[in-house]
Amino acid sequence: MFWLIADIIKILIVFAGLLMSAAYLTLLERKIAARIQNRMGPMEAGFHGFLQPIADGIKLFFKEDIIPEGANKFLFLLAPIIVVIPALTTFAVIPFGAPIKIMGHIVPLQVADVNIGILFILALTSLGVYGVVLGGWASNSKYSLLGAIRTAAQMISYEVALVLSIVGIIMIAGDLSLAKIVSEQSHMWFIVYQPVGFIIYLIASTAEMNRVPFDLGEAEGEIVAGFHTEYSSMEFAFYFIGEYAQMVVNSAIIVTLFLGGWQGPFLPSVLWFLAKVFFVILIYLWLRWTYPRLRYDELMDLGWKVLLPLALANIIVTGFIMILLNR
Amino acid sequence: MEALFYVFSFIAIFSALMVVTMRNPLTSALYLVLCFFALAGFYVILDMQFLAAMQILVYAGAIMVLVVLVIMLLNISRIKNIKSDLHQKIIGVLISLILFAEIVLYIINGAQKRPSGIFTHALIKRIGNTQVIGEFLFTGYILPFEIASILLFVAIIGAYLFAKKKF
Repeated sequence: MFWLIADIIKILIVFAGLLMSAAYLTLLERKIAARIQNRMGPMEAGFHGFLQPIADGIKLFFKEDIIPEGANKFLFLLAPIIVVIPALTTFAVIPFGAPIKIMGHIVPLQVADVNIGILFILALTSLGVYGVVLGGWASNSKYSLLGAIRTAAQMISYEVALVLSIVGIIMIAGDLSLAKIVSEQSHMWFIVYQPVGFIIYLIASTAEMNRVPFDLGEAEGEIVAGFHTEYSSMEFAFYFIGEYAQMVVNSAIIVTLFLGGWQGPFLPSVLWFLAKVFFVILIYLWLRWTYPRLRYDELMDLGWKVLLPLALANIIVTGFIMILLNR
Repeated sequence: MEALFYVFSFIAIFSALMVVTMRNPLTSALYLVLCFFALAGFYVILDMQFLAAMQILVYAGAIMVLVVLVIMLLNISRIKNIKSDLHQKIIGVLISLILFAEIVLYIINGAQKRPSGIFTHALIKRIGNTQVIGEFLFTGYILPFEIASILLFVAIIGAYLFAKKKF
């Protein structure tokens, strides 16, 4: 009974936290974009635009829900949901704090410690592409379809590098469970052993999330808005919630795999985790507002000719060094 | 556990039926994804989390995405009248009869056998099935494993040659 209640509370905290942070990331992104471009950003709703996400949410909620003619209605409505669900589910296996003691029980701050944690994450992130592809296809629009096809090709290319960049971590930690990986980093963060893996994961995950400079699927200068051209109202909002939730989750994965998870001195572990996640999110935002979009062939070249060989070389070098050091 | 087994079985059989009866290739492909999820559920029930993750990662996440991509690129979802000839039907009936016979044979012979060997549930829980599978792949089954990888390599080169055409 105790465990059931503890689990439900953890699930609710994670769920609410993810949705709230996804909503407020839109504000953070607009504020940072404004800073980089020497503007003020949203200022009207609340103090320094603090109520802007809520206002946006209410606005989108009351917008008319338009389904284009000739669209596959079921898939059209299903696609935004498919974007959000994997992003939210992935967080279930990420440890977000040191185990705490409540009423004599030691409760791990992690919804579920799956013994194949990393694979669970990879399996779910690989499903995010369906939401984009189906949404683009079901809209019955040329621009949407073009965006969907571009995104599918891009995601397949970058997923290979994404998965391979983590293999080095698995080799050093010797385990697929994320709780174990975090505890392995108590002496030294894995970013020290795996700097190349970290860079590859950062780039490939940006591509997986369809963010600038890899937003070929929604390139607004070429194909209107890509896969979500025909979306309006809450379905449109769902794509955004999905994208920002994915960003939080990807930052949390990077923190767990490369930056020592929740470990850190003095402060409580949950605070350390949140601070690190915030730091990685800032890197993502910074990337977005610094680099121009890649051309299509450049994107494919970067994925297949640079990141993939680098990731493979990283695995081989890691293996050699581990044998030389007799670990 | 038993209830879960029936739920997954129902989903698997239902989606498999939908794959072959749906007119729209894209819908069929999506039902196939659902079928893979049900299979992954079976693996989890059998304490094979590694296989379950691989089932979703490889089949649902990679192979079916490619299939969907090809369906979308060729735009074959609008085909209304499907051609069928007698040869197709004869071969189809033959194959399904053989498959049915195989299933019947399995059901008749499989009931009495129980899993044997040193890898019990308790042991797998302790060391994790990923380690067990990895050890087997690189010791006892190294030859089939390497042959499979060479086969894939040959397929990649073949696909490359087909795509390039000019030498």
